[in-house]
Amino acid sequence: MRSVQRSREAWGLPLASVCAIAFVACTHELVGPDATPDDAAAAPVFVDLSSLPYPALSTYRFFVGELDQLEPNTGVLPFAPINALFTDYAHKNRFVWMPAGAQASHVSDHEPLAFEEGTVLIKNFWYDNTAPDGERRIIETRLMFRRNGAWEFANYIWNPEQTEAYLDMDGAYLPIAWTDSEHGAMSTTYRIPSASECFTCHKVNTDPLPIGPKPRNLNVDMAYPDGTMNQLARWVQEGYLAPGFPSGIQATPDWMEASLPMVDRVRGYLDMQCAHCHSDERHCDYRPLRLAYQDTQDPANLGVCVLPDDPIDASVTHIVAAGDTTRSMMHLRLSSTDGAVRMPLLGRTLVHREGLALINEWISSLGPPCP
Amino acid sequence: MKPLFSITIALLSALPTLAQDNCASAVPITAGTYVVPAVNGNQVPSPICAPNGAGASAGEWYSYTPASNYTVTINTAIGALTDSRVHVYLGGCGALACVAGDDDSGVNNTAFLTFNVAAGFTYIIAFDNRWSSNGFTFSLTESPIVIPVFSFSPLTLPAASGSGQAAVDMNGDHLDDVVRITELQVTINHQQAGGGLVQTVFPTDTADTTPYWSLAAGDLDGNGYNDLLYAGGSATFMLANADATAYIENSQTEWIFCQRSNYVDINNDGHLDAFICHDVEPNVYYLNDGQGNLTYYQGGLGDTPDGGNYGSIWVDYDNDHDVDLFIAKCRGGVGPANIDQLHRNNGDGTWTEVAALMNLADNQQSWSSAWGDYDNDGDMDVLQGASSFTNGGHKLMRNDGSTFTNVTVGSGFDNHGGQSIEWITHDFDNDGWLDVLGGGKLLRNNGDMTFSMHTVTPTNGPVGDLDNDGYLDIVNGGTVYMNALTGNNWLKVTLEGTVSNTNGIGARVEVVTQSGTQIRDIRSGDGFRYMSTLNAHFGLGQDSDVDQVIVYWPSGIVDVIDMPAINGTVHVIEGLSTGVTAVTPEATLSTYPNPAETVLYLSSSLPLRNAIATVLNTAGQPVLRSVLREATLDITGLAPGVYVLQVEQEGTWLQERFVKR
Repeated sequence: MRSVQRSREAWGLPLASVCAIAFVACTHELVGPDATPDDAAAAPVFVDLSSLPYPALSTYRFFVGELDQLEPNTGVLPFAPINALFTDYAHKNRFVWMPAGAQASHVSDHEPLAFEEGTVLIKNFWYDNTAPDGERRIIETRLMFRRNGAWEFANYIWNPEQTEAYLDMDGAYLPIAWTDSEHGAMSTTYRIPSASECFTCHKVNTDPLPIGPKPRNLNVDMAYPDGTMNQLARWVQEGYLAPGFPSGIQATPDWMEASLPMVDRVRGYLDMQCAHCHSDERHCDYRPLRLAYQDTQDPANLGVCVLPDDPIDASVTHIVAAGDTTRSMMHLRLSSTDGAVRMPLLGRTLVHREGLALINEWISSLGPPCP
Repeated sequence: MKPLFSITIALLSALPTLAQDNCASAVPITAGTYVVPAVNGNQVPSPICAPNGAGASAGEWYSYTPASNYTVTINTAIGALTDSRVHVYLGGCGALACVAGDDDSGVNNTAFLTFNVAAGFTYIIAFDNRWSSNGFTFSLTESPIVIPVFSFSPLTLPAASGSGQAAVDMNGDHLDDVVRITELQVTINHQQAGGGLVQTVFPTDTADTTPYWSLAAGDLDGNGYNDLLYAGGSATFMLANADATAYIENSQTEWIFCQRSNYVDINNDGHLDAFICHDVEPNVYYLNDGQGNLTYYQGGLGDTPDGGNYGSIWVDYDNDHDVDLFIAKCRGGVGPANIDQLHRNNGDGTWTEVAALMNLADNQQSWSSAWGDYDNDGDMDVLQGASSFTNGGHKLMRNDGSTFTNVTVGSGFDNHGGQSIEWITHDFDNDGWLDVLGGGKLLRNNGDMTFSMHTVTPTNGPVGDLDNDGYLDIVNGGTVYMNALTGNNWLKVTLEGTVSNTNGIGARVEVVTQSGTQIRDIRSGDGFRYMSTLNAHFGLGQDSDVDQVIVYWPSGIVDVIDMPAINGTVHVIEGLSTGVTAVTPEATLSTYPNPAETVLYLSSSLPLRNAIATVLNTAGQPVLRSVLREATLDITGLAPGVYVLQVEQEGTWLQERFVKR
């Protein structure tokens, strides 16, 4: 298992990180018959499958204390894939919860774990330092839950007061402005997806499917309140993952890890940004790219010197024109914000500058020129 | 003719030429091979005659005055394979006008350009550094002149934000204009009555979405001026004011993953509605009540839960003179979303999906389809052009009335390796046979359901007649590729609805000549993305007369114009032609029983088989339409009341009143 620990999105919100650890430690003790009235919020997670999705996020009791602190309740386990999908620079954290006795099992290193009935995947999206008051603003919380042997979606939009999030399957737009140290003042009209947008990326053929929790994405250390530990090992320890899966799971290369070979970083980046559509039986499998990590040892699957089905722009000659970003469809797609040109089509309105820089650097490094 | 150089001799004889930094110092050349040490001249070639727009900062200039008429080839792949680009002008340095240009037609993105020249004219040849300032060697060769099958000359429009997305009339003169759009403005190059395109920028309120997926145009509010529909992440209507001097933004709130959009009168109430393909849900549409109200609907016209709807096209495939809906569909993986659909208009507000019945339920990955009467036998055939070959290639499907027959093998489309999201049909050479533009090629219809492939410079874009010469032009970005062919006769038919929608969208137009009958459907929105002319355009080949123009309006009204002048435009106002009341006096129609309850029996002195029966209510609105296979009409679905039965057969119109019990 991979043991290199690296900095990644903290599962507890930065503003609350110190007290978060302390509080979570407490909740383990407080869940039980001796809980005092003050600790009512720490009642166990409440998932009644027949009543899902609830109208309000708080009903699940995934989080204890003030809802906007996103402090996980007992059994709500944080996780973080090695690479994260870019979503207009929104911060995210993710949790998994399973009912008693349920556990996931390994299918293959590169397929999502097989989850059991009642499992819920939880993902929060927020921005820090938002205009006008510099506050953190949680936008949405997306759930996928397993019912009747299939995945279903539930999306919750947070109210401006940040006291509750309400079920919304129609999607919405939210203008938002924020400042971060790397990019300065930023703004966009953030898209909260509808159910059909969720499904467009989260599926195989016509069956909904999670993207992130694949063994090779989870095979990395994470800082937990009680110490740092490999995530897969932690899942096993929590009873959330059946032990006995094959050893030697190859971790997906971290695209931000500058010490790794560039092509590995590119493969890791494209895997998370693109492979949910550009793989067999996915939304865009009729295009030649195959961008899942296990497929991209072959440069042709990365589009190197592959002709585009449709050039979109006459100046584009190849999906990746070796040595020439300006003639490369991949560069055009990743550098565009036009709704019909950008890639991914869904989930971003801004250019991911750091990702684009990596792709450009890689394309420029390739040679000789495509014939 | 001068001897052609072999490569070896050409290299040996290549002359390093002196500085040719601008047009005024252009170095005169003749056929031969020349070295350009570097592209660093101070005059940047303009206008841009080659694809791929601005971005150059230097040029190299030559002049060439042929002694005879030639077909000339400029090839930059002689030595180093530099990514070069070339422009060819006439008109002198003070008034350079594009003749031809090329960017990437040679190997490794070198320029390779073939064009025709006339003796004694001086052509300016300029290279730029759009992609590279490195030097290269080029050859200019002269060959006996070959008249091209297709030929387009680039005309660069004045710069404007946005890319050319429509070639359609915007100011009510039925001359096509060019439309470019951003979220803050509509730029229109209005075609002038005397020729020329005059650019005007109309600032607009901020559109909630731009037409980044598709654009449609039509006169939504019936004021005589076309309105726009921006289909992106939602729908924005941009409505021409009372004299088309401003555009009023009307953005709708519904989130839609738009693909192809169309204006069409879905419920045949005389007011255009807006239809939008939804990529990931059932299709949506806005019904227009004619009072300024648009009402959003989802469902009933392509209800695959996860969509896959890319290319909607409204076509009368069954010749019953109402519009049916074909949807080119695409989707990765296994599921129903990539199976094309054909929604038959039952004429009574209901629709039946009949793609499988008609042999068109194809899971081929397609974003658009080109519908036209390719064999001129009186019904609409379809080229199901592939966007990807993963689920099968292009399919040419011949309309045989009761089914469509796959006639791809040997048609030329079986050998067409190009793929594209855009597939459209027009008669680009005016020979009377519909050609196809798609997959990076222009396919000429040979007149026998076979097509020959030709490479042309413009790729897919909006199509219209932008110089009113009767030959259709193609817009790419900020360049109009003017059709440079001449010699065939033509006829344009423009429509003005009075009972039907003002554009006559959904009308069937027939032109009868000695060669036979050609048909067109008036469509707002074909192909995938662009908006092409709303005028019906007919090439006539060498036919010198048109016997009749017949317009079947969505209202059921038929106009017939006899012997219109050719090589011009016939403007047809609904109901004003002589044909409307041309009921043959001797012919009779009777119905029984009367009142009738379920079946109406018809009797006529005319043959009724294949006649078109339309039932009108007392408001004159069609409530039932059917092609008669026998002399009966099922009226079970009609509400009790008084109706008029209208039967049209071979240009003859008969009416009879009946009562439904």
